[in-house]
Amino acid sequence: MESTMKRPPVRFVVICWALLALAAAGQAITGQQRAPATAMSAATEVQAPIGKDSVKFLVIGDSGTGDRAQNETGAQMWQAHSVFPYEFAIMLGDNLYGSERPQDFVAKFERPYKPLLDANISFYAALGNHDDPNQRYYKNFGMGGKRYYTYQKKDVRFYALDSNYMDQDQQKWLEEELKNSNSKWKIAYFHHPIYSSGGRHGSEVDLRSIVEPLFIKYNLNVVFAGHEHFYERLKPQKGINYFTAGGSAKLRAGDIVGSSALTAKGFDTEQSFMVVEIDGDVMRFQTISKRGKRVDSGEIRRIPNS
Amino acid sequence: MTKLLSALIAFSTLLTLSCNKADSSEPRAAAAPAGQAQPAPAASTDPAAGLTAGGQAVNAQGAATLEFKKRIDAYIKIHNDAEAKVPNLKRTDDPKEISDRESALAAAIMTLRAGAKPGEIFAIEYQPYFIKIVQDDFKGRSAADRKALISELPKNIKVDINTVYPTTLPLETFPPALLRKLPDLPPELEYRIVARSLILRDVKANLIVDILRDVVPTIPS
Repeated sequence: MESTMKRPPVRFVVICWALLALAAAGQAITGQQRAPATAMSAATEVQAPIGKDSVKFLVIGDSGTGDRAQNETGAQMWQAHSVFPYEFAIMLGDNLYGSERPQDFVAKFERPYKPLLDANISFYAALGNHDDPNQRYYKNFGMGGKRYYTYQKKDVRFYALDSNYMDQDQQKWLEEELKNSNSKWKIAYFHHPIYSSGGRHGSEVDLRSIVEPLFIKYNLNVVFAGHEHFYERLKPQKGINYFTAGGSAKLRAGDIVGSSALTAKGFDTEQSFMVVEIDGDVMRFQTISKRGKRVDSGEIRRIPNS
Repeated sequence: MTKLLSALIAFSTLLTLSCNKADSSEPRAAAAPAGQAQPAPAASTDPAAGLTAGGQAVNAQGAATLEFKKRIDAYIKIHNDAEAKVPNLKRTDDPKEISDRESALAAAIMTLRAGAKPGEIFAIEYQPYFIKIVQDDFKGRSAADRKALISELPKNIKVDINTVYPTTLPLETFPPALLRKLPDLPPELEYRIVARSLILRDVKANLIVDILRDVVPTIPS
């Protein structure tokens, strides 16, 4: 009796096995992508601070996406904190992209940085072009209800500026504050970089023409900016050190113009953040990628004012 | 030849009429208040420079500035009246308080200004000053710079007076050099560029207070 059940051809079996294997691999990849952000954060290469009584802070920019990249970078920031216990964080603007409903504050700030907030790390935000200026009333951004403000940490005077709207009031305020400060270190931060090798935006020369003369006149030491979605350390310009650190969630891969004479070090292939220590006359910085690699580091020695 | 002559006569008549209209609608020369920026930097190239009224030179810029300031003050009174009707905005841990307050303030102002029309603050009499300031500023910029100033927003964005500025969209950074040339505003208000328009925006209410359309020169893509 001839069987009605035919044995499947060998070719068919091979194809089925191949399809099953592919499906299994796909599931594995998907599973990996859905792993919690904390599980994704690789070991950090951040090095411990050197100074005993130094000012230690975190620098993040263009962070408010609420997406996976922000959460993973946030997890890496927390991991870095175990080695480099920064006391506060400065935010370089674009703190919240898109809508700013209450749930957006949670998804784009409170959740990604929950361990930092739980550890009472204070944040001091500057406004970016994606930010509603009413963010200044949100306590966790540390702005004290002001669009631009200043504060002191030991020997360091910080100036958080609103580069979206540099009106005459702000210019007068900045000049007064710079003039009246006897701090050893003066650090300004704001959203738009006045020197940048970004292909999309580049240097904000209009803003530069207004603020740079004040920075020079009153011996500002360091400037941090965001807006460009990458990390760039610029060659010092007229005695001032500039950093762009706008890649803490958003990333514009490959945007640093390779031929730029401004760049001392650039990193535009992965999200990143900075940890900084100011120890007497020395500022030490490390730039850490989302996966925990130290992609830049160095120190800046303050030149005492004449 | 006759046609050309007629066209020239018609054009010059139109020009004279428009000058007379501008002239008669503007008050006599008045200096801008202390600390108040002049709307236009160079009188010699000003659209209304050289106008006369009863044989006397008219400081059209100063008059425009004064009138603009009056209208700004009138708006601030409305803003303050509306603000008195909503809860105080104080520093808070709760973002809901911030957004609720912003919406409430916007709603109160929209009610008080129901039926507001473009040109209530950017009055037609001195619109040419604003247009000239913006256009001169843009002329002095490189193509890349001009593009960068309007690159953050979608090209086809449409906004209207007495409506909330779209909450999901960024604000174009306002160029400081241009800001220096425009009349000062109180902290409640700011200038912004939206596509080709210059807008006045109420900062606390996130509300579009007035619009001057087609101010920004067209930038070829």
